[in-house]
Amino acid sequence: MRIRRRRTAEDYAQEISAHLALEADELKSEGIAADEAQRRAKVAFGNATVSRERFAVRGRAVWLENLLHDVRYGVRVLLRRPGFTLVATLTLAIGIASSTTVFTWIDSVLLQPMSGVADPGRLVMLESVTPNGEWVPNSYPDFIDFRDHLRLFAGIAVSHPAAFSVGREDHSERVWGELVSGNFFAVLGVKPETGRMFLPSEFGDTPGAYPVAVISDRYWRSHFNADPSIVGKTLRINQHELTIVGVAAPAFHGSMPVAAFDLWVPYMEQPVLNGVALWMMHDRHDRNMLGIARLKPGVAFEQARLELKALADRMAILNADVSEGMSATLLPLWKSPHGPQGLLVGPLRILSGVCVLVLLIVCANVANLLLARATVREKEFSARLALGAGRGRIVRQVLTETLLLSIAGAALGIAVTPSLAYSLHYLMPPGPAQSIVSVDHRLNFAVFAFTAGLCLLSALAAGLLPALHVSRMNISARMNESGRSGLAGNSHNRLRAALVASEVALALVTLVGAGLFARGFQQTLHIDPGFDPSQVLVNQFYLSTNAYSLAQRKEFCRRLAEKMSASPGVAGVAYSDGVPLGFEPSWWEELRIEGYAPHPNENMNIFRNVVSPGYLPLMRIPILEGRNFNEQDNENAPAVMIVNQAFVQRFLPGRDPIGVKVNGWGTWLRIVGVARDSKYHYLGESTPAYFYVPFRQFYRADMNLAFYVRTPGEPDLILSTLRAHTRSIDPNVTVFDAAPLREFIRASLYPQKVAASLMGVMGSIALLLAAVGLYSVMAYSVAQRTQEIGVRMALGARPSQVLGLVVRQGLSLTAAGLVAGTALAVAASRLIAGISFTNSAMGANAKLLGSGAFSPLVFLAAIAFLSVVAAVAAFLPARRAASIEPMQALRTE
Amino acid sequence: MPTQRDENDRVALLQGTLDLLIMRTLLFGACHGQGIARTIQRQSEEALFVDHGSLYLALQRLEDGGMISAKWGTSENNRKARFYTLTAKGRKELNAKTTQWNRLKRAMELILSPLGEEP
Repeated sequence: MRIRRRRTAEDYAQEISAHLALEADELKSEGIAADEAQRRAKVAFGNATVSRERFAVRGRAVWLENLLHDVRYGVRVLLRRPGFTLVATLTLAIGIASSTTVFTWIDSVLLQPMSGVADPGRLVMLESVTPNGEWVPNSYPDFIDFRDHLRLFAGIAVSHPAAFSVGREDHSERVWGELVSGNFFAVLGVKPETGRMFLPSEFGDTPGAYPVAVISDRYWRSHFNADPSIVGKTLRINQHELTIVGVAAPAFHGSMPVAAFDLWVPYMEQPVLNGVALWMMHDRHDRNMLGIARLKPGVAFEQARLELKALADRMAILNADVSEGMSATLLPLWKSPHGPQGLLVGPLRILSGVCVLVLLIVCANVANLLLARATVREKEFSARLALGAGRGRIVRQVLTETLLLSIAGAALGIAVTPSLAYSLHYLMPPGPAQSIVSVDHRLNFAVFAFTAGLCLLSALAAGLLPALHVSRMNISARMNESGRSGLAGNSHNRLRAALVASEVALALVTLVGAGLFARGFQQTLHIDPGFDPSQVLVNQFYLSTNAYSLAQRKEFCRRLAEKMSASPGVAGVAYSDGVPLGFEPSWWEELRIEGYAPHPNENMNIFRNVVSPGYLPLMRIPILEGRNFNEQDNENAPAVMIVNQAFVQRFLPGRDPIGVKVNGWGTWLRIVGVARDSKYHYLGESTPAYFYVPFRQFYRADMNLAFYVRTPGEPDLILSTLRAHTRSIDPNVTVFDAAPLREFIRASLYPQKVAASLMGVMGSIALLLAAVGLYSVMAYSVAQRTQEIGVRMALGARPSQVLGLVVRQGLSLTAAGLVAGTALAVAASRLIAGISFTNSAMGANAKLLGSGAFSPLVFLAAIAFLSVVAAVAAFLPARRAASIEPMQALRTE
Repeated sequence: MPTQRDENDRVALLQGTLDLLIMRTLLFGACHGQGIARTIQRQSEEALFVDHGSLYLALQRLEDGGMISAKWGTSENNRKARFYTLTAKGRKELNAKTTQWNRLKRAMELILSPLGEEP
């Protein structure tokens, strides 16, 4: 393309003089005197200055110049009205900040669940499916079959989050990491920052053969000062030396979305590090490996899923003893039910909807404010129109001002977003989830683009109506009103009425939503868990990380329990594998019950806990029939179990449960007692069949260990005693995260708590915005009618009548909004009630909203509240209007 | 005298037609602005009057659009003047515009002619 130099104005002026000379010449040749010829040439040309000006303003430069002018003018106008500008900017900032925050969360939880991996679009989660259709992790032998037989996958890997104790015994530190299959990094496509990842020679399935580890970039920097010579050195993990072979790329935080891990060790080191027995490594029952798979290029998700399902179904038949009725499926990364992400998906989905509501309210508010401003500025605009400004120019001016407001709002919003995004940490339940949760709360480009788009959109939405209104204004009508700011046009009023009404409707929906969640949460809190969590301290021990053998672990528990029981201020001691209503998964065993014929495909995997004899009394769970476990139920005694009432109702209706034989773990157990039902996974759950087995008979190396102490006083006060006794038994065992059981079990309420607190925050924001919006609109419309009110009062209307008139009009608008809002809220609560917050095997049907989904009380309260706000918003300006002197009102311009 | 014709006999140019007239004038060779104005007036038998201020803006617009190109040169009577030439793109545009205009003219005639006829 040819680049043409822009023609200068001077050149153009020269051309004009040339023209005048030529024209004069021609006229002279026609016989006109020189003076007259020059004059006529000038007359014929017209106004040369205008022509030169028009030359100067042609093209794009003008557009830019106008824009700059608009911006300068806009800034001046906005600064002249600091109150209006502040309210509008803050409103926009709140809207933009809240939506950007939620978007940041959605981005890191749902859109980009995994960073630092190659081509995440082809990564999927691989889940086993129970006969009931619940998703559970995979067993290692199943993984080997998947890995070796599936053709449509580029690779399949498994991982298992675990706590490691790193460092020498006397000052070890707990580090969260993942036990992974050797091919883990190869499948994910993670690059080393330095050193190497696991080699194909380390991909094998030989227990104890790969004493290597990879550390995170974060850990490398915080613990080794980013020293590159760390590669090849050893790290003491669970009291075993492992060689650090590499540091993972900085962006990689592990395979669990929203969580950040620091250490990766081959799963085959499990027997060495945690003393897990070899046979357990090959136990298909041991389903604790999270599967992640990479599809081959060109392979569709559905195609791969079908191949996997076909294989899994065949495996279920081949391994019918352990896997009958099981299957497997693929899930997109964001659907993973495990870890913090599983808890966040439900609340986030609702939250994004709420965000849209708040944003709509924000836009309605700003549009209202701008519209009101535009009404006040009508005279200015008509003057500009009359002086020859183009309508397009005025529309542009209004849009520029709106855009300025949005930019200010966006800047403010973006400034506070990182700290808001970080607040997700505070919402995580205490314990492991909190320490590993990691949200990338820095602004990334996607978030920025989103906000910029939002900003533009709200500017257009809020600015377009007023701008169009101005451009349609009839100047002569305006001017003929002799400069009076008379009544605004009818269409104009209707528009604002619609805005007010919709704002009320939106606020009602948000408020009802917040109320329903809060109420649901409140109701759940009052559900009796069936055990007594108060005055109990619970601590999780990670003894395997101290290289304890199974026998040593049992011995440790026995001695600690003995010492604690003998201490003053201790009312009871117990230990178990799982903590009820805890954040961690619960396990099950497949049972065969004597005299009970399962239906075809009936899921006989029954949840269980492995407990010490002190457990049921400590929890104050009464034994209704038979007896509790005792010290005689040891390794050498016949195996026994205690079942709950739901177990009896489901499997042994009308039979005496005591003495019934049940097969599990490849052995026969005898039921010796029936315990009262309690809650096991979520407070909202319907009680499942459940059973307990004695710690001494069934505790295995891969189980957790929770230690409980009941005290007559504050549970925290007994902590120092527990610490002292623990140290006296083994100085290397640390009490990491002891917490009162009452607080610990709140983890099970986490999804509801998040939903309730976030909805509460959003609800208050919506309410605040709606109140501001209502008030500003009412105030403006009353101010508009000052003259009319003056006339009315001059003609004898009493202040109370005027007051009534204004308030009545405000309330009728509100009423219209409330009707629409109620309809919307009913529809929305129906929608939300269907959202269940987890799909993992525990509590698959637990809903975010409890039974309170249609609570009329919440609806009524929200309606009443909004009505009061609206009444106040209408009353204050009305009173001001009614109190003005009629004469003054009439003179008001 | 041509310039003293009654103003009422003159026809104001329809919007957009000035470009067409300029390009048509330039079809016969390069010309400067004043010459173009004169030519248009003469050829329309003084019915059309070209506003000189607008003419130069139109010329600039056409130049910006690449329809014509310009060069400073010397006129017959030795005055400095800016000479305009029709470009290939301008020629094409002229063809298209002329066809369009003819169609419009025919359409206008079809509608207007019955009124002009005496019954």
